[in-house]
Amino acid sequence: MAQFSVIGKSLAMVDSSSKVTGLGRYANDLTVPGMLIGKILHSPHAHARIRSIDTSRAEALPEVRCVVTGKDAPNPFGILPIGHDERALALDKVRFIGDNVAAVAATTEEAAERALDLIEVDYEILPAWFNPVDSMQAASNWIHDDRPQNIEKEYHHVFGDPDEAFRQSAFIREETYHAAEVNHAAMEPNATLAIYEPDGRITVHSSTQVPYYLQRTIAEVCELPMSRVRVVKPLVGGGFGAKSEPISLEIIAPLLAVKAKRPVKILYTREEVFLAHRGRPFTIVELKVGITKQGKINAVAARVIQDGGAFCGYGPVTVLYSGALLGAIYDISNVRYDGYRVLTNKPACGAMRGHGTVNVRFAFESMLDALAHDAGIDPVELRRRNMLAAPCITANGLRVTSYGLPECIEKVAAQSGWNQKKGKLPFGRGIGMACSHYVSGAANPIIRSNMPHTTVNIKIDRDAAVTVYSGASEIGQGSDTMHVQVAAEVLGVNPARIHLVAADTELTPVDLGSYSSRVTFMAGNACLAAAKNMREQLFAVVARKFGCEPARLEARDDFIFLQDAPHERLSFEDAVILAIAADHHGGLVAQGSYTPPEEARGGKHKGAGVGPSPSYSYSAQVAEVSVDAETGRVILERIVAAHDCGRALNPVAVDGQIIGSVYMGLGQAMQEEMIWDHGRLMNPSFLEYRIPSTLETPPIESIIVESEDPEGPFGAKEAGEGSLAAAIPAVANAIFDAIGVRITTLPLSPEKILEALREKEKSERRTAAGKLGAP
Amino acid sequence: MSMPAASVACPKTVEEAVRILAGEGSGAMVIAGGTDVVPNLQMKLFSPCVLVDIKRIESLRGIRVNAEGELYIGALTTLTEVENSHLIRQKYSVLAQAVATVAGPLQRNMGTIGGNLCLETRCRWYNQSYFWRKSLGGCLKKDGPICHVAPGGSRCWAAWSGDSAPAFLTLDAEIEIAGPRGTRRMPLQSFYRNDGIDRFALGRDELLTSIVVPPGSAGRHGTYHKLRIRNSIDYPLAGVAITLKMDSGGICQDARIAITAVNPAPLLISQASEWLVGTKYSREIAERVAHAAIQTAKPLTTSASTPVYRRDMLRLFTRRALEQLWSAQTNSGINSPVD
Repeated sequence: MAQFSVIGKSLAMVDSSSKVTGLGRYANDLTVPGMLIGKILHSPHAHARIRSIDTSRAEALPEVRCVVTGKDAPNPFGILPIGHDERALALDKVRFIGDNVAAVAATTEEAAERALDLIEVDYEILPAWFNPVDSMQAASNWIHDDRPQNIEKEYHHVFGDPDEAFRQSAFIREETYHAAEVNHAAMEPNATLAIYEPDGRITVHSSTQVPYYLQRTIAEVCELPMSRVRVVKPLVGGGFGAKSEPISLEIIAPLLAVKAKRPVKILYTREEVFLAHRGRPFTIVELKVGITKQGKINAVAARVIQDGGAFCGYGPVTVLYSGALLGAIYDISNVRYDGYRVLTNKPACGAMRGHGTVNVRFAFESMLDALAHDAGIDPVELRRRNMLAAPCITANGLRVTSYGLPECIEKVAAQSGWNQKKGKLPFGRGIGMACSHYVSGAANPIIRSNMPHTTVNIKIDRDAAVTVYSGASEIGQGSDTMHVQVAAEVLGVNPARIHLVAADTELTPVDLGSYSSRVTFMAGNACLAAAKNMREQLFAVVARKFGCEPARLEARDDFIFLQDAPHERLSFEDAVILAIAADHHGGLVAQGSYTPPEEARGGKHKGAGVGPSPSYSYSAQVAEVSVDAETGRVILERIVAAHDCGRALNPVAVDGQIIGSVYMGLGQAMQEEMIWDHGRLMNPSFLEYRIPSTLETPPIESIIVESEDPEGPFGAKEAGEGSLAAAIPAVANAIFDAIGVRITTLPLSPEKILEALREKEKSERRTAAGKLGAP
Repeated sequence: MSMPAASVACPKTVEEAVRILAGEGSGAMVIAGGTDVVPNLQMKLFSPCVLVDIKRIESLRGIRVNAEGELYIGALTTLTEVENSHLIRQKYSVLAQAVATVAGPLQRNMGTIGGNLCLETRCRWYNQSYFWRKSLGGCLKKDGPICHVAPGGSRCWAAWSGDSAPAFLTLDAEIEIAGPRGTRRMPLQSFYRNDGIDRFALGRDELLTSIVVPPGSAGRHGTYHKLRIRNSIDYPLAGVAITLKMDSGGICQDARIAITAVNPAPLLISQASEWLVGTKYSREIAERVAHAAIQTAKPLTTSASTPVYRRDMLRLFTRRALEQLWSAQTNSGINSPVD
């Protein structure tokens, strides 16, 4: 293994001091002279036609500078080219309680709120759809006229011969699983500052994961050339997918700014964050799995219904990920998938950490545990018998280049004491395991093109400072630090010499954004290529000076030297000066880009574009729980999670991502749930939407597995999402081990557990009574 | 969300505070730690003209025992101070336990014991933003004609959701209230009216100044069991506080049981207390008392947890609390599971 000087070291995140001192600036920390405050009027109705809007009384308030409605910006938008169904403000009808109807810019927040109350909207109320199963039957009053039966998209995939494979299965189970709708609950509420520039350009500072897509969308909706829209991403306080598509306030703030010709800032309340949503949909998974006597998974059939809310958003991608990743973690040849994305009169769902994989993984891994039980095979052993052999192509055409899952499984089994504990713990205590996986970036861009997915520029001038320009978005996951480590390693310089300029569409080359866990793999590879290019330029002039081949040179610790004669060396500064002077070259610039290889882009069937990735991460987890059989309360005792991230460029950052993913999964497993009453969100606050406190969070032991992906930068792949999904079924399976009941509906609340226990007792009593009565 | 455009008065004495309250009438609102008031102001649940910030009234701080042996806790004493008081931990442990479960450490550092006794009642149809309530058309408690919990009725069922009040009830606490005509004392039990809107017997011109626990309550063995989803932050979904006095033979000489978060007021279960006097522990008596507790409890759909589960847990927690207290005091070998 190569000896690295910066890669593989647990460097402090480069932006950490600004965060812990409070000096760092998030979007809402920004203020500029003359700035107005924007506020949005939301719909009180779940589904209604807008007959008229009268804004005159609001406009008459002295503090109000302007009011905008849907007519001011009728161009539709949406993250997917096939789903341009949103408008900055409702044009003709509202589609959920909270839909955006009008917006006000005023000199104070208080005045803006007062102005909202003065806007009069005449609504014609329409029947509304709140449940996807009902919504799919709708004969009229469709949420979007061009989406009959309120079905946004449906996909039907068959690989192999599932029917025959089921016939040849020794054990078959069928079950319906439900998962409640959950929200990302990022700490930072969305905020946008839009600055109208004197020359008519617009600069937007926004809490976004996708500056480039936001720039495109603002240009489309505000009818400006893209070249006159600049998007800057300040510090972002968590995204988790919530900020991975243009959110209404990011369009409304520029609209207000253009109309008022003044800077306008909008900060969402927590309730507005919940109404903007884009979280994980309420999902129904009807699953059937068949295995052989020996525990080989023969066939999988799933029918998945996702309650997508009122707009398309990322919906078709979510439902495709659910199908593509359902079986692809194991060696399974026969898969049937029927996926439905259904519209309802609720806020739109979208991408959320583990996008599309989490709820089907809960179902699948729960069922696998039950099948292991049926077949009398240990659940760990059952999984061992279904491993892929990388490199390979899965039944649905996904190319697997590295596969650390077997090692993940062995490590968690050993560290958790699986063999000593499984089936041997007293009633009320249990242990369970599950696996999950995720993409390292989508191999196909959202908007199909042949352009690179990401580009990184590097500039070095006479001060010998290294400036790296990347469009990639740091959202807390470590994007900035990753760039610094990669560039420092290649150039052989101290990381402190590297300054990163990131996520500013005017200064940095395009990166598609922080979604689908793509940044380390893709921007990392682009940064690697740019740094190698820069190093070649330096090595060329140093080699000339030393009269050697460039291949004999090495860069490390701020020196460039001969590998076989390290005392023959030049300081990095001197090398830079030499290179700038050589042939009157001037300041040094280098560029690197990344485009996923053709063979990683998937099959040809309809919907085959979603799921393919240049590489996949893997996770195995063991949960240990105690259950109070009188209250139904589960105490999470311990989680052991192993994650194959290819190579940990920064181990402490990877540990943080594994622990964070597991924590987030446990929140969904145990208690998080958006609760609805006729389209009204009953818990739009962190008091009632209960993300776990530290007191319910168990010790999470993370184990890093390094399978060294052949195409990842230094072998690295995804670390930020893949460990979320396994946490949920691991706990569900541990609960079964503890008390003998399977909960098939998330969250695994005490009430459900108690009810299941009572049912079990009743049926045991019936059985006992039956036996007594038998002759 | 903006704060309402209220002015702020900062009296330095109780007399001054009462004078301001009397002068402003219904437009004035008292604020101390602000952990309950501020979010409610942002949600536009109240629109006072004047916020009377009493934090500078030094005489309202502190924990002391007077010559008669009464425990005095000033209304402005923070929940953290109560929780950490050696005296309270030693002699009034039920109170220390209950206070330690309030919200999280940040709120306990800010929140006061007086404020915790004067909390706003809570309901999922009421504790919502201005937009949310307006889109619904309000509720009986605020801006609307009907109660969404009990649509037929004319009574508000918003739940009393404090933790310290049931503990104080089991200590026979009294409160002192200052008003224009001087200071009066009343049993805490009579303070609460069991009405989600008209919560307690406190005039617009009055201020709760201190809580007094009689000498006879010192040294009672007590416990507080709270139902919640998270072990921090959450308000109670149901709760029971119990104190017992026992002789060396394990025979109960005195008992108090109070429940919270299942009615618009914290309530004593007086009848059950009487049953316990003169008895030793038995599963039967524990079940009987627990049954009485749920007979008094009227949990409705004011929170996300179902009324059935809250009632079931109240019964269980009451039984467990009795088991725990008895076994701790008598070492009688009773199995005492702890939540």
